[in-house]
Amino acid sequence: MSAALLIEDLVKKFGTGKAAVDGVSFDVPAGEIVVLLGPSGCGKTTTLRCVAGLEHPTGGRISIGGRVVSEPERGVLVSPRERDIGMVFQSYAVWPHMTVHQNVAYPLKYRRKNTSGSGDIESKVRETLELVGLGEYAQRPVTSLSGGQMQRVALARSLVYRPQLLLLDEPLSNLDSKLRIRLRDELRRILKMTGMTGLYVTHDQSEAVVLGDRIGVMKDGKLLQMAPPGEIYNRPADSFVANFTGASNVLKGKVLERKGEQAIIDLGAAGRIEAWTPQPLVAGDKARVALRAENIRLGERGPANSFTGRVTERRYQGMQTIYDVEFGDQKVEVLELGTAARHNDGEIALTLPPDTCWAYRDDGQATVD
Amino acid sequence: MTATSAAALPATTDAAPAARRWAAPLWVGALLIILAFLVIYPLLMLFFGAISDSNPVIDGFGKFNPSLTHFIAVLGNENVRLAFFNALVACGGGTILAVVIGLAFSWIVVRTNTPFKGFIAGASMIPLFVPPLVAGVAWSILGSPKTGLLNTALKWMGIDFRFDFYSMSGLILVFGFYYAPYVYMFTASALRNMDPSLEEASEVSGASAFTTLFTVTFPLIAPAILAGSLLSFVVMLGIYGIPAALGAPANISVLTTYIFKLTAWSPPLYNTAAAVAILLMAVTAIFVWAQQRVLSGRSFATVAGKAFRPRSLNLGPWRWFTFSLAIAYLFIVVVLPTIALVIAAFRRFLFFKDFDAVFDMKAYSWVHFNSIFDNPLTMVSIWNTMKVGLITAVVGGVLAFAIGYTINRTNVAGRKSIDLLSTIPVAIPGLVVGVAYLWAWIGLPGGLYGTIWILALAFVARFIPDTVKSLSTSFMQIHKELEEAAWICGRGLLSTIATIMVPLARPGIIASMTLLFVLAVRELGSSLFLYTSDTTVMAVLLLDYYEGGNVGKTAAFSLVQTVILGVLLGITTWLSRGSAESTARAG
Repeated sequence: MSAALLIEDLVKKFGTGKAAVDGVSFDVPAGEIVVLLGPSGCGKTTTLRCVAGLEHPTGGRISIGGRVVSEPERGVLVSPRERDIGMVFQSYAVWPHMTVHQNVAYPLKYRRKNTSGSGDIESKVRETLELVGLGEYAQRPVTSLSGGQMQRVALARSLVYRPQLLLLDEPLSNLDSKLRIRLRDELRRILKMTGMTGLYVTHDQSEAVVLGDRIGVMKDGKLLQMAPPGEIYNRPADSFVANFTGASNVLKGKVLERKGEQAIIDLGAAGRIEAWTPQPLVAGDKARVALRAENIRLGERGPANSFTGRVTERRYQGMQTIYDVEFGDQKVEVLELGTAARHNDGEIALTLPPDTCWAYRDDGQATVD
Repeated sequence: MTATSAAALPATTDAAPAARRWAAPLWVGALLIILAFLVIYPLLMLFFGAISDSNPVIDGFGKFNPSLTHFIAVLGNENVRLAFFNALVACGGGTILAVVIGLAFSWIVVRTNTPFKGFIAGASMIPLFVPPLVAGVAWSILGSPKTGLLNTALKWMGIDFRFDFYSMSGLILVFGFYYAPYVYMFTASALRNMDPSLEEASEVSGASAFTTLFTVTFPLIAPAILAGSLLSFVVMLGIYGIPAALGAPANISVLTTYIFKLTAWSPPLYNTAAAVAILLMAVTAIFVWAQQRVLSGRSFATVAGKAFRPRSLNLGPWRWFTFSLAIAYLFIVVVLPTIALVIAAFRRFLFFKDFDAVFDMKAYSWVHFNSIFDNPLTMVSIWNTMKVGLITAVVGGVLAFAIGYTINRTNVAGRKSIDLLSTIPVAIPGLVVGVAYLWAWIGLPGGLYGTIWILALAFVARFIPDTVKSLSTSFMQIHKELEEAAWICGRGLLSTIATIMVPLARPGIIASMTLLFVLAVRELGSSLFLYTSDTTVMAVLLLDYYEGGNVGKTAAFSLVQTVILGVLLGITTWLSRGSAESTARAG
């Protein structure tokens, strides 16, 4: 089956400045949900809006369902209304002068390939409103709804005509945190139930992990890695990806040797550490080793990467405890789940499992946060 | 706290309550009395005039035979009903045209990539500054059925069609063209504040740009369209200059021109004029009330979301079409009338035997300018206008500051009544203010009537709502805590106002006062009833020239007035920009 969405070497420049999207390529097979994840200004929303046709790309090619909808080099530009897509906006964009029913029926009324009769519209609208759990609200004016309900209306409006591709632009970011989690899980259920192909943009990792079959991490207009969530979290291809997805500890050192995907890094006074690396490091390279606070094991001496350090500070946070640990001239944060803080200040053994230590070339770039 | 200030404390607390207990009611009382004197008393006199049949000049002051029959008889009068009907048709038609133009303009400026948008947006506001009588004069020169310049041009081109602006349709066209900016102001800001994803959602749903415009965009800004059209209707209803210039030759009376006709009768029918003025005021009040209701209603267009840049539609080559539409509008409302005025002012006779005669330089001279400046009244009127403008600006500015501060920054008892009283004039057309002041003062011997103060006070009363509103806006931008900080530092209320509020609100104060000055200079409606030969003002003298029938002198004086207004506007813009910059530096 052909890809529902294929993006090849997409470029978008605003004015004469730096490209907002700089050579992005990926595909979304039918029925899959791909999430674009990245900090604000990374180009993820611009990519989405190019797919929607709301922004006009400067270069590259976008095909939806095998049809080229945008290719500036050949002068191809299909207007948004002819792309057979649905879109859910961050600000909901439900029309406040219409009822819930009118909002959802709108696309059925005004789409060009309008094959459905009015009775058909009725049943489709009702069915879709049931699907998003708003069956009771059809005749309400949308302005009387809560934010979460408005977003459901927006979702129903974009699903009602079964588009080939659904685009979601940070649909949950205007909701409060509890509602966001509930709607996130429900969104996945609805999307999977309809078998919709989706492209979802967010800056929230937890949304990305729950919703995405694959996650693409973007930075400065470039797609750094596109992989299933498990791989993004356990095999980040890039130090930015590692850092953005939560590997906040960084140990600086020098490469001593590399065997395949395994590297030995000299951390100076702390000793040497064994790490996994996706990059072709060479002995002598400056390297940084990233690892997640929750992957460090305190009070344990494992077979490899075992050190002796000192707990310098302990921050009890109720559900978890965070320890600042020094070993050699390195400092790490360690996170332990559980309501009891098990370790005290002072000397302690710690293990950094080699599988969870990821070595990257130190290009001198600052990390996020 | 130091010992000295602690010791000083009891003395101040003893003195303060007594002063404070009396200061607030005295202050509120004084403001209420001033407002009653400016607004309520003239209105009451107008009501008495409308329901009596005594002439204040002949019968003296205070002799009333109140009876409703008189008022009812006036409303039943055929001419009154005709004027009322004409006013509704002219203003209704004008409003429809204004909505079409204003909406098209706001869409072009806010939503498209039409070239030179900024220039178009700025220039399209020019009609707001053109005095209605000047616009009327210019269009009578252009579009009078026999000698109009447009018709001369058509004849020269061999086209049989002739314009006739001395007609209801002429009135509607000129109204519509000159009051479109009122609609534009409301709709443009509504479009600008509208979340663009509301339109994008429609486009993604499969609707065409045209469908989107009529099913999403316009319905969403419907409150703004309604508010703008109601406002433009109200303004047109109160305009005297345009119907006087274009309606009178064709014997089309609207309410304003009819009221003036009544007072120019011999003997003047002041009672009937008062009754018709009340009719005009009632209609105005209903529309103003409706407009306020629309404005206070929830606005659709403000939807929570991230900051956005307004969408701009790429029109491709069509953007030159929208550009030429905008240029055509500017040509019609600015360029064409200016050309007409210049030609008429400098030509000895406004007669062309053919089109080439337009370029016959021998026919041009300064003779009309010489003749208007030979008339001693001209300089008197200019001088009077400046004096009235200055008095209005100073008195109105100070009063508006006092009212605005009291309403917005204090919680004294009675501030609601002050707010109400100072808002009433919103619903009173200038012409009605004039008739009311006439009734209030003409019968009082040795009173204000015949001085320039009556003009200035009428202007203050007429423009107080706008001035208070614009000052309140600048007050609201000054955080209450800035004042509170000064109080904590030991400053008193007055000293805080002087050292904190006045300096911080200075750009707003200067802007409001200069606006008052400009409004007073161009005001015609209320001056009509209040001037005497010693206190004539520019707007009134221009009307005199026009009714005298000399087109050359009228055009020449229109130009003089326009140049003076232009210079004043230039100065005020420059003044308020300078002050805005200085605050920007300070803040």
